[in-house]
Amino acid sequence: MSADPWTWIAAILTLAVFSFLYKENPFYRFAEHLFVGVANGYAITFYWHRVLVPSLINPVASGEKLWLIAVAVIGALYFTRFIPKISWLVRIPIAVMLGYFSGAYIPRAIDAQILQQLRATIVTRSMFGNWQFGLWAVIIALGVIATITYFFFSAEQKGILKPVSRIGIIFIMVGFGASFGYTVMARISLFIGRLQFLLGDWLGLIH
Amino acid sequence: MKFWDRLLRIDRRWLYAIIWLVVMIPLLFPFKIKPMAMPPVTRLFNYIDTMPEDKTLVISVDYTPDIQPELHPMCIALLRHAFANHRKVGLLTLQVMGLGLGEAAIRQVTEEFNSRATTHEDSIINGEDYVYWGWTTPIITILLGMGERITNVFPVDYYGHRTDSLPIMAQLKNYDDIGIVVSIAGSSIPISWVNFANTQFGVPIGCGATAVSAADYYPYLNSGQFTGMMAGMKGAAEYEQLVADKFDELGIRWELRRKGTEAMSSQTAAHIAIMIFIIIGNIAFFITRRRKK
Amino acid sequence: MIVLVLGIFGAAAFIIPHPIVKGIDGTMRNDVLRIITAFSLVLGVGSIIQHHLIKVRRKAEHWPFSYVTLIALVASAIIGLFGGIDPASPGILPTHIGGFSFHMQTLYENVMVPLAATMFALLAFFMASAAYRAFRARNLEATLLLIAAFILMLGAVPLGRMLIRPLPDFAEWILTVPNTAAKRGIMFGIGLGSIATSLKIILGIERGWLGGGGK
Repeated sequence: MSADPWTWIAAILTLAVFSFLYKENPFYRFAEHLFVGVANGYAITFYWHRVLVPSLINPVASGEKLWLIAVAVIGALYFTRFIPKISWLVRIPIAVMLGYFSGAYIPRAIDAQILQQLRATIVTRSMFGNWQFGLWAVIIALGVIATITYFFFSAEQKGILKPVSRIGIIFIMVGFGASFGYTVMARISLFIGRLQFLLGDWLGLIH
Repeated sequence: MKFWDRLLRIDRRWLYAIIWLVVMIPLLFPFKIKPMAMPPVTRLFNYIDTMPEDKTLVISVDYTPDIQPELHPMCIALLRHAFANHRKVGLLTLQVMGLGLGEAAIRQVTEEFNSRATTHEDSIINGEDYVYWGWTTPIITILLGMGERITNVFPVDYYGHRTDSLPIMAQLKNYDDIGIVVSIAGSSIPISWVNFANTQFGVPIGCGATAVSAADYYPYLNSGQFTGMMAGMKGAAEYEQLVADKFDELGIRWELRRKGTEAMSSQTAAHIAIMIFIIIGNIAFFITRRRKK
Repeated sequence: MIVLVLGIFGAAAFIIPHPIVKGIDGTMRNDVLRIITAFSLVLGVGSIIQHHLIKVRRKAEHWPFSYVTLIALVASAIIGLFGGIDPASPGILPTHIGGFSFHMQTLYENVMVPLAATMFALLAFFMASAAYRAFRARNLEATLLLIAAFILMLGAVPLGRMLIRPLPDFAEWILTVPNTAAKRGIMFGIGLGSIATSLKIILGIERGWLGGGGK
């Protein structure tokens, strides 16, 4: 069993959260509120020490980049969110962020998520170097077409579109099934992790 | 027939108790299993194992405490692999809440190596063998800036040292010096690495994903935008096994706790329990429905 | 207008690799965006503080717990800002009493990690309960989904290989072939959608982010 007081604190907090499984209670509520508080304190710490100090305070204090004061003023407009009369000013810093990010995102996303994915879908002769890979490539290509057909033409499924979108839904269901199976695995892992802590680090029953 | 009715309306807490026991008992009394690495994990391992010696492995600790049990073992396994292979490592995170996990991982693994080291060469030294850049914001500053000059993106490291004063940074200027970035995350951050770092700078991206998002990432594996991938705790266990085999090959005989592998007995038992739940739930549902008709 | 100009600039920096553009782009990312984003923390932390202060003032349900959040926030911020992050980077305030230390990394590993990880671990139980109650093979589609899920669940664990030798490989095939096809199809849809949204923001067609009806 651990002799470290912090391991005991962690174990008690873990049990406080698990107590929710029986029913909602003050221990769980305390744990939940404690988390929100500490997590925000943690964020404040690093936003200050690792962003504002090296990138704003130090360069301005040394007189190296005095113009950053103007940027800080724009950033400080976030505070206006809490001053009702001038709360519209908060849109300025948001606009700067959103504008740049959207602009930077579009050309790269077109390349990464559309063009390169499209390239990987197109069946080429070289894929048949190994007949199996060739066959899988053909199935993937057909599956992509069928899935898109199901999504884009779901309103008017007539003629050829009907069987194609039917095949699409089969692919989609297999895909969702794969995701579901893996989600079960993920959720169980999270619980295993906590038991590894309780049984191993705290009680010393697993080495 | 009342039996099936009652079974359908069973108090959820009985189900909870079953899951608790099904996971706990195999943790205490595990059965011996050796994880077999699947192709996405093997590809990632082989790439890191054989990449040029002057290239750095970068691990992006993009996960947060909530999903740490699934992903932390991956980070540990990657660090053990890199240090056993005498690779230089750079760590960073794109999430402020992931900072402490990166620190916990690097502290654990350096202690494992340094407590057994006999010479300076065997030791793992901060600033020489690895660097923990920590975190900054926004992610676009990191993803694009690392293609130009890493010390501009991270003027100070996690510990507050000036990065341009660290010896390791002399040969680690930007993506050109990085062999691969492995982004371990529970969100879509690995896709951001693909969008910005891989697309524009061509740096290979590996991925450690929670099992929840792993299935969604297969298109990126298929297109080669991900070099390899570890999926959930199972992926971590597979990588741990490959590292253990590597340790054997290098003659390193240490007894290290492998949390991913350790979990596999419980994982097996829990999957079977869930499948039985679904089957019983369906049988009960269809029997009671037929009766109502 | 700001969005349009910066949007065009953000895209231009990718398309035009001219040194001047690159220089401005670097300053933009390393200085301007970084500082402005850092201030955005105000929105999150400010809202939390405001929410809990209002709860305390109005004596809303469970209001005493709001003190837990507020005290924890202030105390951990003081420890982080003035006490230092870990023993390697100490601050001006001491973060230990005798052998008992309470610097930021200790709080993180022993308070934040167990709380967050355990809250998410609860999902394992909710998922198990939902699987029992709600997962019904009512039609062909649901049955197909269930079969795929079962193969994945068995194939993912070592027992699968013991029962049916090729099962893990078959599970991997499902992921690499039909799953890839479906997810890629969906991805094209989402990808085009999010690019369209970005364009709409830049061109000022999408104004949801302005909040409310926009005065």
